[in-house]
Amino acid sequence: MDLVQNFPAVSILLCLFAGIISSGLKEKAARYVNTVLIATVMFLNACTLGYVLHTGEAFVYVMGKFPAPWGNEIRVGVLECFMALFFCIIMLLSLLGGRKKLADEVEEGKTFLYYVLMNLLLSSLLALVYTNDLFTAYVFVEINTIAACGLIMIRQNGRTIEAAARYMIMSLLGSGMLLMGICMLYDLTGHLLMSNIKEQVAILSASGEYRIPLLVTIALMSVGLAIKSALFPFHAWLPDAYGYSTVSSAAVLSSLVSKGYIFLLIKIIYRVIGFDIFEASKIIDVLFVFGLMGMIFGSLSAIKENDVRRMIAYSSVAQIGYIYMGIGMGTQAGMAASVFHILSHAATKSLLFIAAIGLTDVSGGSRKFIDLTGAAYRNKWAGVTFTVGSLSMVGVPLFSGFISKLLFAQAAVQNNGKMLPALIVLGISTILNAIYFMKTVIRIYTPVEENKYECITFKDMKLYAVTLVCFIVLNVILGVSSQPIVDLIEQGLAMFS
Amino acid sequence: MCYMILSIFFPILAGIFLLVRKEMKVRKHLLFLTGSFLVLEGILVILAISLAKGELLLLFNLTDRLPILFKIDEVSIIFSALAIVIFLCAGFFSFEYMKHEEKEKRYYGYYLIVLGVLVALCFAGNLITFYLFFELLTLSSMPLVLHNRSREAIMAGLKYLFYSLAGAYMALFGLYFIEKYGNTLTFSAGGVISAQTAEDHMVLLLGIAFVMLLGFGVKAGMFPMHAWLTAAHPAAPAPASAVLSAVIVKAGVLAIVRVVYYIFGASFLRGSWVQKVWLILTLITIFMGSMLAYREPVLKKRLAYSTISQVSYILFGLAVMDGDSVTGGFLHVLSHGFIKAALFLCAGAMIYMTGRTKVKELRGIGKEMPILLWCYTIVSLGLIGIPPTGGFISKWYLALGSLNSGISGFGLAGPIVLLVSALLTAGYLLPVTIHGFLPGEEFDGNTLERKEPSLFMLIPIIVLTVLTVAIGLFPNGIISYLSQIITKII
Amino acid sequence: MGANLFTNYGEAVAMILFGIGFGNLLLQSNLIKKIIGLNIMDTAIYLFLAEKGYVEGRVAPIVVNGVQEAEAYINPIPSGLVLTGIVVSVSVSALMLSITIRLYRRYHTLDLDEISLRLKKEGL
Repeated sequence: MDLVQNFPAVSILLCLFAGIISSGLKEKAARYVNTVLIATVMFLNACTLGYVLHTGEAFVYVMGKFPAPWGNEIRVGVLECFMALFFCIIMLLSLLGGRKKLADEVEEGKTFLYYVLMNLLLSSLLALVYTNDLFTAYVFVEINTIAACGLIMIRQNGRTIEAAARYMIMSLLGSGMLLMGICMLYDLTGHLLMSNIKEQVAILSASGEYRIPLLVTIALMSVGLAIKSALFPFHAWLPDAYGYSTVSSAAVLSSLVSKGYIFLLIKIIYRVIGFDIFEASKIIDVLFVFGLMGMIFGSLSAIKENDVRRMIAYSSVAQIGYIYMGIGMGTQAGMAASVFHILSHAATKSLLFIAAIGLTDVSGGSRKFIDLTGAAYRNKWAGVTFTVGSLSMVGVPLFSGFISKLLFAQAAVQNNGKMLPALIVLGISTILNAIYFMKTVIRIYTPVEENKYECITFKDMKLYAVTLVCFIVLNVILGVSSQPIVDLIEQGLAMFS
Repeated sequence: MCYMILSIFFPILAGIFLLVRKEMKVRKHLLFLTGSFLVLEGILVILAISLAKGELLLLFNLTDRLPILFKIDEVSIIFSALAIVIFLCAGFFSFEYMKHEEKEKRYYGYYLIVLGVLVALCFAGNLITFYLFFELLTLSSMPLVLHNRSREAIMAGLKYLFYSLAGAYMALFGLYFIEKYGNTLTFSAGGVISAQTAEDHMVLLLGIAFVMLLGFGVKAGMFPMHAWLTAAHPAAPAPASAVLSAVIVKAGVLAIVRVVYYIFGASFLRGSWVQKVWLILTLITIFMGSMLAYREPVLKKRLAYSTISQVSYILFGLAVMDGDSVTGGFLHVLSHGFIKAALFLCAGAMIYMTGRTKVKELRGIGKEMPILLWCYTIVSLGLIGIPPTGGFISKWYLALGSLNSGISGFGLAGPIVLLVSALLTAGYLLPVTIHGFLPGEEFDGNTLERKEPSLFMLIPIIVLTVLTVAIGLFPNGIISYLSQIITKII
Repeated sequence: MGANLFTNYGEAVAMILFGIGFGNLLLQSNLIKKIIGLNIMDTAIYLFLAEKGYVEGRVAPIVVNGVQEAEAYINPIPSGLVLTGIVVSVSVSALMLSITIRLYRRYHTLDLDEISLRLKKEGL
């Protein structure tokens, strides 16, 4: 066995240990540990990605001495490595971008806890991405939920605690359904490892036995994960949770946590149920319809919003709708488009949150649009970045959003039954996106007569500005040279089955 | 090859350079810089279209199937030449006009970027490149519309943005399908849809063609999505309105030329319901634009309505799909470009010198600035379609083509609408001349003194006027050049 | 169908309990009742697992008097899953309770809807 094969398991354990160690450290040390940890994990995953690309096939890493079908396994393919790497990048950038703000938002002396939670979150995300065992996936889903809940309410005010309560309730409903689904699946097949379940499910479905229980299981798991990733109409908790937590939390929650669940769902579709069986079930149409509704209603709510952070949060609802629409199309192309949109949305949404905080900071901390007037002149870097993010969201070519829309459309054109609804809703939702994002961009570039607030220059925010530039570069890379990434995704999806 | 890249990216980079530069202390330096950038770009474009014609330039691949590529053909040459002439004239005009506006640097920066994007749009070799720069055109020209940041201007800018984006997305919607059914997005004269595909998916493809026409028609101010034009054009500073009206609106025309003749092909659309509906829409727009212009008291708004009407002349010519009518359409692209730019610049000069915006207030203006008003009168005659100006030639060909086409009903209805609209055009443009030179007996003309605008303003207007007349006097060269295009696409 | 339901009454009860817990967690506005619902839901799942894991007449796979054949033992994994599940459920309940306490200290009510209303009034 090559040394590299240990890396994914090591990176998960590293995160867990870092979390434990950080809980005994002072703020600065915890921050340092966290940054080094993410960088290390990034490096490890990059190595693994290179290794998997080199060998050209996925490998299985047995945790402990029990072989399949009893033991616990990690399975590493191209897509898993790439996702893990990408998640690390986004998390690092989000934390760097929100670092300065953190001191204002979190109670003095509690900041180290923030990094503990972040480490745990990263470990659970990595585990969700890599694990080959359904029950392990469930346990890490719960760890993820708890860590995310902590990240929401570490900023102590009434809003965040209420948001955390709502978040917990919806999440628990979702994970209850997921657990029930897993138990029933275990009952039906007698396995917990994904690859073994898949074999059994294929046999079951071929023989036609237990058709209804199997359908119920698929429904329970997909709906459970859909609730957890805030698919419309289960999004009620989302605007408060993203809108009032600390900025790094909002960025991480919107771009990583919900994406982790979606990635798990994609894994379940491919590696547990089997793509064909999933496609044949009606659940896929349900996901498709709710995705479409999310695209429209999310945008409509965002238009009505008068608070920039909540507006961005509502836009997440719409974007998650896009992803579920792609999954619901039931084609490989649609799935590839969804995975690409996971990347593009993660890159764009965290960018928007981080840029928005720069703008609200120079507007006296207010997030009302009226106060944001001219904010882009007071903080030029944030203004430019926000504009880039908006253009990407609206789907202007050269940015990542355009490519994902293009991929969705190409996928939709291939599917005759769902072509028209998908394309029409895509068009409507794009126009709605344009309405609220362009409105904001114009608002922040409208000059004000008298400047109430002071301007910020590069000197005051070196780290922040560098982070923003990194975000823009990431976005443009996704938008301009998307082909290698799409190829990678397709290769990874092919490796799944 | 390298001239092609340079002519596209030089102005964009120059514009960005101006935007990020610190405010210049001496205004002359800024003007000198902008002026030399504009002239240099003019030379580059001339070099590009004379040396690099027909060459294929692949910039990069957006995805495997979507290359960003440029190619110069005859249509590109016509539109880019028009763009460069108008931009030079309006640019030099703004050196005087923008004196009292704030943030001049920003204006020139975006002005240059828009020019670069327009040139790229003209040179675009496939639909995705075209779409990319079409979006960028909207985004980069918006700062020109809302330049003075008044509430009215911002609302106009938003309106412009949303109409254009909505239009662009309708076009994008079609792009997805064309990529599937046409298998390529590269422009090729006569269309990319094979006869077999066309037959199999007739209904769908016609529907898509219609959606794309409507979408790109937004930029060209075609009914029913024309409302942005009358809001955006008057709100912008006069030289920017000249550019918007004369060139940027033509980007919509260029888009429709590309979609109809280079993607779907004339033979596919001829005789279909799409052509009929399109003809009806253009005729409605021609008539409605003229009517609204006739009733409008504010001069710049009146000119904007007139643009709606006149651009639909071009679209009408394209919709008839007859050799002569398309020739007329292309001729009208040029003559309307020169005329409308000259008219907006005249209006700008009047506002700049006197501060009066309504037609009624312009009484006796001929006593103050006779040269300006003479130019105004000559180009107005051109727009009405009186020889020996360019407008006459183009309308002649439009009517000829329409009569020859033999499309039931429209062959005759077209020329009639054109005639009525020409009368209305006379009705809304000439009052300025009449009241300007002959203010009436009760008007006290003695208080007026002669105050011709400065040469920076006057020379561009005179140049445009001369060009208008020149097209009318010597159209043969252009027509024979156009026949090269016509034989390929009809 | 009906006969199956009767022979598998344990699973049927588990499903009904799951539904009750789910409904409580979703629909109750009182936070404590929500948490009770959560626990009912989780317990129902454990009941389901335990029912499924137990086979009539077999014993736990603990070797006492020599290894018997595999038929004599039940599958231990469901029991393991139940244990893991209980741990998760306890920690989640604890977190929920702590959130409830914080909210109660601030707003002196357990009604989540009322808390939302007050927050809106505060206009935070």
